[in-house]
Amino acid sequence: MNENSRPQGATSVAAIADIQARLEQQNYICNASIATSLFLAQSLDKPLLIEGPPGVGKTELAKAASAMTGKPLIRLQCYEGLDETKALYEWKYGKQLLYTQVLKEKLGDLLEGARGLKESIGRLHEFDDTFFSEEFLEPRPLLKALWEPGGAVLLVDEIDKADDEFEAFLLELLSDYQISVPELGTIKARSTPLVFLTSNNKRELGDALKRRCLHLHIPFPDPGLEQAIVRRRVPEAEARLNAQLVAFVQGLRKLDLKKVPAISETLDWARTLVLMHARELNADLVRSTLNVLLKYQDDIEAVDTDIPGMVVAAHKETEWRFPK
Amino acid sequence: MTEMLSDFIRALRAQDVRISPSEAIDAGAALELIGYENREILKQGLSHALAKSVDEKQAFDETFEQFFAFRSFSGGGGGGGAGAQSRDESEGSDETSEHDGQQGGAESSSGAMPGGGAGQGQGESSGESPEDAATADLLEILERGDRAELQRRLAEAARRSGVTDIRFFTQRGMYALKIQREMGSEKLDDLIAEARESADPAQQAEGERLRALREEFRAEVRDYVERQLALFAANAGRRLREEILETVRLTNVERSDMKLMHDLVRKMAKRLISLHSRRKKITRRGQLDVRRTIRVNIEYDGLLFHTIWKKRKIDRPKVMAICDVSGSVAQVARFLLMFLYALHDVIPNIRSFAFSGQLGEVTDLFEREEVERAIAETLERFGGSTDYGEAFETFEALAMDEIDRKTTVLVLGDARNNNAEPRADILRKIHDRARRVIFLNPEPRVSWNTGDSVMRVYEPCVDRALVCASLKDLERVVSDLLRTAV
Repeated sequence: MNENSRPQGATSVAAIADIQARLEQQNYICNASIATSLFLAQSLDKPLLIEGPPGVGKTELAKAASAMTGKPLIRLQCYEGLDETKALYEWKYGKQLLYTQVLKEKLGDLLEGARGLKESIGRLHEFDDTFFSEEFLEPRPLLKALWEPGGAVLLVDEIDKADDEFEAFLLELLSDYQISVPELGTIKARSTPLVFLTSNNKRELGDALKRRCLHLHIPFPDPGLEQAIVRRRVPEAEARLNAQLVAFVQGLRKLDLKKVPAISETLDWARTLVLMHARELNADLVRSTLNVLLKYQDDIEAVDTDIPGMVVAAHKETEWRFPK
Repeated sequence: MTEMLSDFIRALRAQDVRISPSEAIDAGAALELIGYENREILKQGLSHALAKSVDEKQAFDETFEQFFAFRSFSGGGGGGGAGAQSRDESEGSDETSEHDGQQGGAESSSGAMPGGGAGQGQGESSGESPEDAATADLLEILERGDRAELQRRLAEAARRSGVTDIRFFTQRGMYALKIQREMGSEKLDDLIAEARESADPAQQAEGERLRALREEFRAEVRDYVERQLALFAANAGRRLREEILETVRLTNVERSDMKLMHDLVRKMAKRLISLHSRRKKITRRGQLDVRRTIRVNIEYDGLLFHTIWKKRKIDRPKVMAICDVSGSVAQVARFLLMFLYALHDVIPNIRSFAFSGQLGEVTDLFEREEVERAIAETLERFGGSTDYGEAFETFEALAMDEIDRKTTVLVLGDARNNNAEPRADILRKIHDRARRVIFLNPEPRVSWNTGDSVMRVYEPCVDRALVCASLKDLERVVSDLLRTAV
């Protein structure tokens, strides 16, 4: 570990604040926890495993980090049955077949004048074999990320949806930033990529994987942060409406619902309300737009009777800041 | 890595946060990067490196608050005059914290304070500094009411007396005394004793004052040790209990331990699930995987040298459990069923039957109800004097057709048949159809075949007959079931 090249102490704190500010420039509003994790991932060269409920901006973080660092984002979406031919590399076997045929034709020239089997084999050995070479390698996302000369941001999205085998297969990449191609040997990263893994906790990830990563858990944002996000992404919403709608959504998250609204839904709702020229929340308005927030009919019905009460609560919560 | 970090990691481990050495190294690197200036960032950074699930994050937060409340940041809460000093401390540690934050912080700050020289010496090389100076300091600190300095000394002395090894609450007194000695309390005791023996009323008043100070000091130390106990030994007692409960005979488990037993079963089941949740694949000869075969054989100019066969994921095992729920066996049956249903993720196909007098299927009951309620209802429905023969007869009528090559049948009972017809022929029939039949008997092997036990009749009809009396035995059985269930 090179101590001199690393920021330390106060510089680190400043660097973290800087990351937070730069993420904000990319329209990604975050708290110190997220900025710290990104800072550590960058400075320790460790992959970052992000967990949290759906819609809190796990994938967004990787995108924002890519925009922030100016490195290309390479994304690998995981699903059941994903294997190395789709994630890592594939041989271009069409071309390889052509190559062997070309080789066959050339064989005559090559062996011309050779006497005896021994000499022929000798000549064949001298002949440069490119059958298994990087030229015939079709890079898939993981290999692409390693080959990127200036480094890349690699996003392995929803790793929990992939099989156990794939998880095990990722380990080499995560700890050493290299991968093994049996025919070629190991391929090392040209420049260490910044790796993000996201998980919705569909299944418990293996300890080995967790051990190799820094772990960031993004919960639903607190009201202050959510207001900041709405302010940034939907600037048209007035401050009072912003505070009220956030308070309402926060209230919804406390209820027992099939799917609680995420940040993206809050933003959609804010946009909807702005389009309807709303300046304040009221029960009828909420009722008519609730389908933007809740995606299950059962949820909408379950909430229906609570709406007036929750609207009043949202008003109460915010009235000290916006007196009538 | 700093001493402080390793202490912190020990405290975390005591709270069931699993931390591997490589993670500890990561945390060390993170700590080196971040330093101690910003408490929130320090907390977040360590949390990213050490706590790797939501539960662990929560445990981490709690432990962090407790641990750092009186460690490096103790000055902050130390009342009036301590505020400024603690600021000194954090600024001072800026410069020196690269390698050993805590040590560096203690040195630079105590250097800046009057009378801190001895403290510095102790920090560097414990024990070499003159004892007199330490005692004088202690008295002086107490008189000044300088809580920040006192806390720092306390932490220093505590480290030397190895308080992080504390495990049981009975050790509190010993460690408190050790720490007091380390901090030079003996000198203070002498002073007080001297003052009390003297005839001079002024001297005696002075002694009273010193005694009050000493009381305060002792309370402080006691407090400190108690917090250490909470940090490092919170779970030690529970662990010990769990260890005992794992091996105790299930029939002897007290009612009051039931909740703990439930948790334990759940924990064991979770462990087994993570061990066995990997689906096995078997090759099915006869079906060529064309795509992959072509890909592999490109090397040979498209000649099919290697062939690759399609693979098939194997089915989960089917389990049927026939449980005797009479008298003492009921307790074991309760845990067996609890275990099996906790394993629902890996064994989705369980059918359970309970009998005592008669036999009936209880699968739905256990899927629907809480285990306790289901057990109670089962006992109510199927209680009575045991008759294995009749039970097997009913089972044959109910479920014999369902048994196939994939089914494992578990029979749990003490084989005490009240001298009725054992009907071992049905058991043999089951054995012929099923993949395996395992007989679990909660009685120790020596009491098999005594009295009305018909174990000797049943034993030849089953694949294995095992003693199953404790949770450990149960785990072994279930684990075995999962391993070989193909």
